[in-house]
Amino acid sequence: MRWRFLARRLAMLVASLLVASFVIFGALYLAPGNPITALSGGRALPAASLRVLEQRYHLNQPFLAQYWYWLDNALHGNLGISITLQENVSAVIAGRMWTTGGLVLYAALIILVVGIGSGILAALRPGIADTSVLVTTAVSAAVPSFVAAIVLITVFSVKLGWFPALGNGTSLGSNVRHLTLPAIALALSSLAIVARVTRAAVREEADREHVQTAISRGIPARQLIRRHILRNAAIPITTVSGITIASLIAVAAVVETAFSLNGLGAYLVQAAQSKDLAVVQGISLVLVVAFVLINAIVDLLYALLDPRVALGSRAQ
Amino acid sequence: MSRRKQLPAAAAALAACALLAAGCGRSAGRPASQQLVSPTKGLVTTTPAGTTSVASVTWAVYRPVDSLDPIFAFDYPENTAISLMCESLLLQAPDGTIRPGLATVANPSPTTMVFTLRPGVKFWDGAAVTPADVVYSLDRQMNPAYGGFYGAVFSRVKSIAVTGASQVTISLRQPDYWLEGELSSMPGIIMQKSYATRQGKNYGTPAGGIMCTGPYELKSWTAGAGITAVVNPHYWNTAVRPRVQQIIVKGVSDATSFTSGMLTGAIGGSYFFGLSNLSQLEHSASVRVYQGPGQSTDAFIVSATSGPLASVKVRQALSLALDRKAIISNVYDGAALMPRWLANPGTFGYGRSVFTAAYDKSPELGQNLTLARKLVSQAGATGQTITIGTTSQLANIASETGAYQQAAEAIGLKVALKSVSAADYINFFTDAKARQGVDGFITVNYGDYADPAALLTTIVLPTGSQNYDKFSNPQLTMLLNQAEGTADPDQRAALVAKAEQLAARLLPWIPDVQPTNVLMLNKSLTGAVASFSYMFAPWADNLGGTR
Repeated sequence: MRWRFLARRLAMLVASLLVASFVIFGALYLAPGNPITALSGGRALPAASLRVLEQRYHLNQPFLAQYWYWLDNALHGNLGISITLQENVSAVIAGRMWTTGGLVLYAALIILVVGIGSGILAALRPGIADTSVLVTTAVSAAVPSFVAAIVLITVFSVKLGWFPALGNGTSLGSNVRHLTLPAIALALSSLAIVARVTRAAVREEADREHVQTAISRGIPARQLIRRHILRNAAIPITTVSGITIASLIAVAAVVETAFSLNGLGAYLVQAAQSKDLAVVQGISLVLVVAFVLINAIVDLLYALLDPRVALGSRAQ
Repeated sequence: MSRRKQLPAAAAALAACALLAAGCGRSAGRPASQQLVSPTKGLVTTTPAGTTSVASVTWAVYRPVDSLDPIFAFDYPENTAISLMCESLLLQAPDGTIRPGLATVANPSPTTMVFTLRPGVKFWDGAAVTPADVVYSLDRQMNPAYGGFYGAVFSRVKSIAVTGASQVTISLRQPDYWLEGELSSMPGIIMQKSYATRQGKNYGTPAGGIMCTGPYELKSWTAGAGITAVVNPHYWNTAVRPRVQQIIVKGVSDATSFTSGMLTGAIGGSYFFGLSNLSQLEHSASVRVYQGPGQSTDAFIVSATSGPLASVKVRQALSLALDRKAIISNVYDGAALMPRWLANPGTFGYGRSVFTAAYDKSPELGQNLTLARKLVSQAGATGQTITIGTTSQLANIASETGAYQQAAEAIGLKVALKSVSAADYINFFTDAKARQGVDGFITVNYGDYADPAALLTTIVLPTGSQNYDKFSNPQLTMLLNQAEGTADPDQRAALVAKAEQLAARLLPWIPDVQPTNVLMLNKSLTGAVASFSYMFAPWADNLGGTR
């Protein structure tokens, strides 16, 4: 069972990677412009220089040959060379991966702790707590992350000076400080969704018959909430948390640009603009892998949370 | 300090000069009204030298640096980083004049340039700069096999050879007095031959690094943290003592992020340009804004080979209808000048009195709608349509396109827009297919060194790299070719000035405004070069802390 789950997941990953790489390569190939003109800043190059550069990057070959050339190298662990940076794509990715990884993890932590926490609070404490959670989440769900970024920078770094306005840190401590505002900006709207879903799920479970029965049997409130309400509410919460966290990977680009972080997303945008194929491919593949991995983890969690759910099947 | 704030001071100085005519230098004999007033008056070329030591400064550029190889350097980030660490054969001083750099130059004949290396010049590793290094560096620029951007600069070069223990001779097919200017810029950067050949294709990349001669040396270049340059302890020029121990050149793509970085001190300084919220920084207690002579021109490229814009009268009318003052305040927040020529007056690097006199005589390109409408109807173009290439994703381009749209409609022309994404805007410059049906588009453009001809030749010569409308005027071509072969700077300036005056009437491109060079520094710092020459020569030699 477990092996079949793993094998199926692996096959899905490989298939996604192949399809994604082909689609991205094709889209970028069809888009107007070419990397050499982006490289030369629009200056007209002598024909001889142009030929040399085109040959160096195999740009003079037909589409399928170019794709095969890239795929063959990638299968041998060589992701190619960035045309604009003249650096190995794996080095480009390695240098930026930790920023994006750290940012997404930090934001995920905020979403899970604050989002689920406030959702539970709102569900179990009707009245002022519930209302204030509803109002705050309504506002924060409506704020796009780039707006949140501008507001956070203006208030917390320009006016109050508590956090740095841009850039990555140099040590672990300063990294956390540098990533705090970006992580909040990234988490804000997803956090609201998670809080809302949590609140609804917990409310629904609390109204179920078995909970009413448990109450009438005099089971202590703490145990009641943990065993009977939260355990059952956990499945929808996990689903929505998984999806929102996986989507953070894509949204991270916006936040990275706003805070001038040297992350994968921000560089992906830049590379796509300068038609730096190898970099776009390399970074996209990393993002696809991360997305598939997060989904696999969510599926594992289903099986852990609910013994009735078999590994690899869908939660009901 | 903005230009607007400096103007009253300049006017006061002028008045003082008029009152005390006898004390006003060599030109005191003439009445004040006839004295030349530099078109860049009120702008500063440098800032007061720093006095205290500073451990580290972060310097922002508008995107991360892609390459440190001078043969691929053609944009602000690369030029800023390379000119911080590397030096050219000749040096472009902050005021645009060309001086000896790593070498002195002599012209024994009009077709021979002899470069003699200055004694003691050495690379970061302590090895002396040899003539072989010079020949290698120039050959790398010229040789198409390297794929460099500057090959055309060397089109009149016959050979480059070592002719002595510290001597390199360039033989020319025809006299070329523009080559000196190019060799004070990116094409003249000298690198170590042994290091560069060892690195091969990796030279100038994060993997291979560089080996240059400048006051700062490359310490690290990581994808994450930008380029870190530290003081070169073996710097050959002992007159220069850098006070900032470490400069980090960092790409900051987002204007909001840049502004807050400057306000909080996370960014120490920058030559960021085209900021529409410049006044926010000018009024900040933690930032000082300087304006120096610029060398770039904000212009409307005419790419039409037929249709209304192919007519000189319609181009003149469009130029007369344009509200340039609105562009200066809305797009540049004051950091630009009204144009008289295509060239920015900050490019007067030689023959300055000749250029200034001619410039002062040329009319300012102001607004006159009545005359403009008359010209359009004379040309019989009323009601015809012009198509402008634009992008709504770049705010500056979009608002200048709007200004042109307004101008054209005010004089009875119709306007169609061909809008593309920001990333595709470059195709108007490089792809004839993208230009098809497009009559013009906006650019900010500059030459490689302080010479009005540096940009003009690319626009009006039939072989010019930016001659998109097949512009050809025998008189302009003759003037410029003659200038290229004229040894005397003043005579050369007179020829170039004539060409500029002609171009300002024929309008192969329509100059919009002349941006000044904006330098922003944290209040605790001073000493950076304030003129556009930072793009071509070391700019942080005097940078340091201020008490």
